[in-house]
Amino acid sequence: MRVAIAEDSVLLREGIARLLADAGFDVTTKCGDADQLRAELEVSLPNVVIMDIRLPPTHTDEGLRAAIDLRAAHPGLAVLVLSQYVEVGLAMQLLADSADGVGYLLKDRISDVPSFVSALRRVAAGGSAIDPTIVSTLLSRRRRDDPLAVLTPREREVLELMASGTSNQGIADRLSVTLRAAEKYVSSIFTKLGIPATRSESRRVLAVLLFLRT
Amino acid sequence: MRRSVSAMPKPGGRTALGAALLAGQAAVAVAGIRQGVAPVHVAAVCWLTAAYTVSGLIAWRHRPGNRFGPLMVLTGAGSLASSVSWLHQIGLVADLVPLILIVHVFLSYPSGRLTSRLARVLLGIGYVAAVGVHVVSVALDFPAVLYQGELLLVGAVALAGAALMVARRRTRPLRRSLTVLIDAFTLGLVMIAVLLVVGVLGGPAFPAVQRLAIVLLGVAPVVFLAGLLQARLARGSIGDLVLELREDPADLGTPLARALRDPSLRLLYWLPDFDAWAGEDGRPATLPDDPDRVTVIEEHRTPVAALVHDPALRDEADLLAAVTAAAAIAVRTGRLQAQLRANVEELRGSRARVAEAGRRERRRLERDLHDGAQQRLVALSLNLGVLQTRLGDDADALALVREARAEIATSLAELRDVAHGLHPAVVSAHGLAVALESLTVRAPVPVRLTVDLGCSPSEAVEVAAYYVVSECLTNVGKHAAASSATVDVRSSEGTLVIEVVDDGRGGADAERGSGLRGLADRVETLGGRLRVWTPPDQGTRVRAELPCE
Repeated sequence: MRVAIAEDSVLLREGIARLLADAGFDVTTKCGDADQLRAELEVSLPNVVIMDIRLPPTHTDEGLRAAIDLRAAHPGLAVLVLSQYVEVGLAMQLLADSADGVGYLLKDRISDVPSFVSALRRVAAGGSAIDPTIVSTLLSRRRRDDPLAVLTPREREVLELMASGTSNQGIADRLSVTLRAAEKYVSSIFTKLGIPATRSESRRVLAVLLFLRT
Repeated sequence: MRRSVSAMPKPGGRTALGAALLAGQAAVAVAGIRQGVAPVHVAAVCWLTAAYTVSGLIAWRHRPGNRFGPLMVLTGAGSLASSVSWLHQIGLVADLVPLILIVHVFLSYPSGRLTSRLARVLLGIGYVAAVGVHVVSVALDFPAVLYQGELLLVGAVALAGAALMVARRRTRPLRRSLTVLIDAFTLGLVMIAVLLVVGVLGGPAFPAVQRLAIVLLGVAPVVFLAGLLQARLARGSIGDLVLELREDPADLGTPLARALRDPSLRLLYWLPDFDAWAGEDGRPATLPDDPDRVTVIEEHRTPVAALVHDPALRDEADLLAAVTAAAAIAVRTGRLQAQLRANVEELRGSRARVAEAGRRERRRLERDLHDGAQQRLVALSLNLGVLQTRLGDDADALALVREARAEIATSLAELRDVAHGLHPAVVSAHGLAVALESLTVRAPVPVRLTVDLGCSPSEAVEVAAYYVVSECLTNVGKHAAASSATVDVRSSEGTLVIEVVDDGRGGADAERGSGLRGLADRVETLGGRLRVWTPPDQGTRVRAELPCE
């Protein structure tokens, strides 16, 4: 699987590249800013791009803009955005109308190598990876007549995993239950919250996030 | 000259003199008509006598020390004297006297004195011709050469006087009423010249020209009277000015402008501490180079203030002097206020600069943290993560690495908080709306957020707005016992308005005070303002207004 990395910190860029090479990825492009990345992508398109949200020259939102542009320019290209801090509003901008092949994670997550690698594979395969911080912030948000009150504690756990992009199998593994049990939890949550059910695991990420955001 | 002024008749005497002149003219007129003089001509001459006599008396009464009034009355008398010729030959001697007196009146405006040497010489020639030479020609029964020569000479003097008037009008900008008067004088002088030339040439048109000239020459004193009335009105406004100044108006310039009838008037103060001129608002200002536009108010020979005005006001020196005298005391107070405002302005400027420098410094530190320590820690943690995957089954080593990674994660979280406290990078990178959404999602109570930005605020303003919302929502959680809140951010006419309203218990809260004071400082430094309404049991409303272009 081919990966491109856009990260201005050399230390981090090389670290990620080494980690991915160890995990069997083919790191085809390593660059320090968005313009260079765009130029490289003209030559050869990877399966997934990993990029820092803050890139030269202004170190503000170049990475985010580039990620949104790349997704529009190359449908099917997966993008995983990394940042020192995550914001609900930015997650929604990045997902726009589809969570397919999108990831948005804190940089800290890289050090948990197995999780990071699996998140990257999931995104590259068209799934999503939303940082747990965002999901837990949204879940703990104060609401009038909190609709989440109808959920059991177990269902809340499942909702949290679902919103961060975990597949049904992933949920089953994390909670040590059978796949059938995980699927039952998921459909029960959708029914209780009144969210239209969807088969696509990434599409349900967007549906759940939109529900939690309002 | 003083003697002659003190020897002037008392008001009653002046009135009697005027009445006598008018009565005399009336009597001569009646007799003249009986002698067969054309009534139209008689009426024109009566108009001339009356115009100069009455205007002269009024001017005399208003400015007793000014020779202009008496000179006009004398002109009226001259007109009367010349009309005596209708009854007796002796009147012919005074035939040209009214004309040369009129030239004298015109050239000596406004003081009644001839200020230029040229005017004095011209008028001297005029008098010699109109009185001296004329007496001789009357005595010799009007020899053609002598008579025509004197007429042409007086005509030439009148034309030269007209030229002087034109020059005066062109070299100095004048107020409108004065311009009209000078134009009336010029026209009168030209008419005199025309009249005399037509007189030399003779012909049937002469009586008509003569009557027209006489009527037009009577217009000048009427225009003069109108100007006098206007100046009197202006002087009357000094009384209003004194009353207004006693009220200690915040803005001195406006009443001064009204009293001087100069809307362009500006009042500047000399600030010795700054060694500079400043406007009433305390902001630095410069005096115009044109000395005619500036009247400096001094005290002990040092400037206190300056009026920057229409240069035409130079022609009303009396008015200008009266207004500056009336304003002197108020101006002293005004200067102290301007000095204070200048100090405040300077402080405001330095506070803003200090705050901006601080903000930039904090922003730089945040950037350094982000690019330095934070990246290094992430890279270190990443390497530990890789190490962890390669350690195999050594449980102790794995535990140590896991512990180290947990420590780094804690440090990163703490650094993130520090960096965010230094400068909310999300605001400058992604805008106020995104930053505020994160704030409201994490708020301790349900918050309804509306953001409607019609302007593009500066980063400093956005950051201040962010801190206002952040601090208010923290307060809502700590003190308000509220069940919900709203955050409304909108722009209106160059102002960014931020309103945070909760439904809590409201009421004054000492603990809340210091945080709000800090917010108010932050907002005011940027030229904005912060208001807090917190009536007991009715929630709290915080409203911040910040400049937004």
